[in-house]
Amino acid sequence: MTVTLLDVTLPIITLVILSVLTIPVVGFIRKRQHGNKILMVAWYLFVYVLAILTVINLAWQYYNASSAESMIITLSPTPTTYTLTSTTPPIFSSAFLVDPISIYMAVLFVVISAIVFLYAMSAINFREKPAERYFAVMLIVTACLIGAILAGDLLTLFIFWEGSAGAVSFLILYEKTPESIRATMKYLVMIIIASSLIVYGLSIIFGICGSLNYWTVAQYIGTVPDKSLFIFAFVLVTAGYATEAAVVPFHSWLLDAYAAAPASSAAFIASLIDQGSYYIILRVFVYILKPASSGINWQLTVAILSTITMIVANLAALAERNVKRLFAYICIADVGYNLIAITSVDKEGIQGNLFFFLAGGITIALAFMCVGIFNSMGIKTLNDFRGIGRKMPYTSLALVIGTLSFAGFPPMAGFIAKYLVFTAAIHASFVWLAVIGVCTSVIQACYLIILYTDMFAKEPTIKEHIKEPRKLLVPIYVLLAAIFIFGIFPQIVLNFIVPVVNQFFAISW
Amino acid sequence: MGNILLIAELLPIIAIPFVYLVGRKSSKAASYLIAFVAFVDIILFVLTVQLMSGSPQRYVEPYNWIPSLNTQYTLFVDGISVSIVIITLILVIASSIFSPRYFGEKHRKDAGFYTLLMMLTAGLVGVFITSNFLFFYFNWEFMLIPAYFIIGGWGYSKPYKTAFKFFIFTHIGAVFVLLSIGAVYLFASGPAGVSNLDILDIQKYGMLNNAPLDMLHWVLILFTAGFGVKMAIFPVHAWLPDAHSEAPAPMSALLSGVIISAGAYAILRICLQTVLPAVIVNDKEFAKDFLHLLCLLGIITAFYGSFIALVRNDIKRIIAYSSISHMGYIMFGLSLFPIQPVGAIVWIGITGAVLHIVTHAASKGLLFLSSGSIMSQLEIRDTREMGGLAGKMPWTATTTTTAALSIAGVPPLACFFSELLIFLGAFQLISTDSFYIWPTVLMLIAVIFSLAYILRFIARIFFGAPKTKTENAKDVPFSMKFAMVILAIVIVIIGIYPTFFIQLISTALTGGM
Repeated sequence: MTVTLLDVTLPIITLVILSVLTIPVVGFIRKRQHGNKILMVAWYLFVYVLAILTVINLAWQYYNASSAESMIITLSPTPTTYTLTSTTPPIFSSAFLVDPISIYMAVLFVVISAIVFLYAMSAINFREKPAERYFAVMLIVTACLIGAILAGDLLTLFIFWEGSAGAVSFLILYEKTPESIRATMKYLVMIIIASSLIVYGLSIIFGICGSLNYWTVAQYIGTVPDKSLFIFAFVLVTAGYATEAAVVPFHSWLLDAYAAAPASSAAFIASLIDQGSYYIILRVFVYILKPASSGINWQLTVAILSTITMIVANLAALAERNVKRLFAYICIADVGYNLIAITSVDKEGIQGNLFFFLAGGITIALAFMCVGIFNSMGIKTLNDFRGIGRKMPYTSLALVIGTLSFAGFPPMAGFIAKYLVFTAAIHASFVWLAVIGVCTSVIQACYLIILYTDMFAKEPTIKEHIKEPRKLLVPIYVLLAAIFIFGIFPQIVLNFIVPVVNQFFAISW
Repeated sequence: MGNILLIAELLPIIAIPFVYLVGRKSSKAASYLIAFVAFVDIILFVLTVQLMSGSPQRYVEPYNWIPSLNTQYTLFVDGISVSIVIITLILVIASSIFSPRYFGEKHRKDAGFYTLLMMLTAGLVGVFITSNFLFFYFNWEFMLIPAYFIIGGWGYSKPYKTAFKFFIFTHIGAVFVLLSIGAVYLFASGPAGVSNLDILDIQKYGMLNNAPLDMLHWVLILFTAGFGVKMAIFPVHAWLPDAHSEAPAPMSALLSGVIISAGAYAILRICLQTVLPAVIVNDKEFAKDFLHLLCLLGIITAFYGSFIALVRNDIKRIIAYSSISHMGYIMFGLSLFPIQPVGAIVWIGITGAVLHIVTHAASKGLLFLSSGSIMSQLEIRDTREMGGLAGKMPWTATTTTTAALSIAGVPPLACFFSELLIFLGAFQLISTDSFYIWPTVLMLIAVIFSLAYILRFIARIFFGAPKTKTENAKDVPFSMKFAMVILAIVIVIIGIYPTFFIQLISTALTGGM
């Protein structure tokens, strides 16, 4: 038994088909007089149960076939599956790559997407006109992301990634306010520049290697004596993906985009697209450009980028008054912490990264969901947040606990993530990077504490009683429970992550 | 009773939601619930004394936690942790019984404070009874959050500003501890299957002995700096006076009594017992210099605290600076850690330091509760406006004087014995290390200063003619008296019969290393 092309593409195809079907189905549901809420929930359950089943099928097929090996499924001339460690065919072209990391990420993305979708169903009124397209876009973005993480070559990755990055602009645009139109324009300009850089880089790599497959490229780099052209190409590719991951100094689009987008979009983008872009950087740097085999020493460069990102994002957040933008800065700072782990190129680091994808993803989703509730009441800046802790205790409590996880407070999941990341940096003898990391963590604690002080200490500016939306709190408290559970019993996640990471390092070119 | 420590650890955590639910109906009931939980915990910890074995005596309960990070959830107690945990829980009982009447009618249904107090208790107990670095850090940071909200929500003047300062200072200390824990995790190497984040295993197998030497130096220094912030040792003490004097009295009692002593406990347990032996093996001179540095820091802190306490007029600030000064004593006691253990006698200084943690907790806790009583009755905090309270508030006057004299080291009260042991240890050490001659002399002078500010404190508040604001003062209600009397009795009992604690502590030390 082995993983076939069908198994790999099934989640993507299913999600795309369901996404297309969502438009007429939601349209039909809207027209009905009665019971449309129940029908909506039924459709939601149908979509995600099917999507999760296809992903589980992929994982099942994979783990049945082999326990810890990478598989490459080529598309041409006929779909064939190769297992990397046993047989080593000469050169691959376009292909899907299935290894434990991509399976872990696929499961993660489907589940987080399901939770954010649940929130979006209540936050975005499906009775209004383009709502069905909003939901369809969310599904198609999830499909593209799963395609991107299962990609086995740089071109497939590029196609799927740009598919999701482009579609996201609709999520930012949804409310069609002047700010959101401006933010979308800025975002589109940035990602068009980014993708042209990537395409240019890819063309150079293809010119040298004759293939864009991860495996082939990685093998080829080790044998080339003069690497300057390669370095140039990868600088372009990295700059492109760094723009989409919002590494400082390529970060400016993110603030406007998150601030202008509806909260459900911000939660969706931050927890899926952001984590996906870290994943791509991880793939490119640690998988293809492993310093030991590629001979390219990029660690210091990434360490410096990480330092700049952490310092700039956290210091800017200290002066920010708009709470949604504050959390956007936290997203950027999280890029910096992820880059620390990538810099280290060792087991703790990649474990930390994978844990961060989970912990950071759910935390940031939770934060934006809470902010969405506050924003819908017209509470936007720190001044508006005054005394809100007493007016809206449940939302505030979720926000406080969720954001403490950002600052790395035990027993929340963020602590384990940061602990792994900093340990990895010490292990890779980047002690200074770890020191900067913890210092910026303290700054993070500072501005979060300022926020709490406003929330709990000051007299409320709003006098009347506020009713908290119960429905929106359900997904928030699901995520909150997850943050606690993964923080206190990280072994649940590490059970998956550790074999994944061991396998990741077992492959040597 | 195979998992008695697990029960003792989980009991306060499980009680948190119940305290919240009860507290919404009545503060008083919530405070009794906390006191009850703490009392049951005390009984459980006393029972563990019987279970200790080996040399040094301890009782260990390992549980699986995060095998992938080579980390076990190991609970353990020895004489040192049992003594400190018991006094912590006694303080929790006193503080919680003290609180409802102290906060008065306005807070009759105040679930928040008691829930946070219970959370704080859970964190405190966890810090003292685990041997796993990661779980230690969990509790260490977990304490901060309830402490922040208690100081901020129930403190005086600008409480959230004070709480912010407290939080940031101690958090900076804590992240350096986290870095050091990461380094220990990477560089500890021992036999297969042994956790490299376990304090006891690292001590037993000397797992840090082969670590790179500069890494060891950094780990030692960063740990000490991180815990030193919590302990408010001289250059990093700035958060303490504000936090302790602006917090509500029950919180001040816990802060000054045990939270800062947790720093001292951590320095003993982690810096001295775990990391220092490895440094001694590799670089004896550095270890010696390190202890001398601790000694000097202790002296500077002791003098600094008592000088400022001598000139302050605010009732709580005097006590807060006295806490700084006493952390100096404990630091001095810890610096008497023997580099070459040659038998039971060398541990006198350390025994004294640990006993001082216990006695100081009871005395300072009582002193803060008493100052809270005075402030709640008179609503003034300047000692110049007080006077002649001895006749007006006899119970408060008696308990305050007991605590204050104990702080000053007057026999037969609790702190006398601990200070005596610290000095005996210092005299003992002078015979092998002549460096300690002058520090010991200076420390003796510091004790005189501490007697001076204590006498000034008592004389101003309780004696002399009553002033306008104190003429109509009445003594505090029964529950507050009761809370104070509990602690006063503890102080007198330890003062008359310190053998129980001294024996308990020395079983944890002899044969150590």
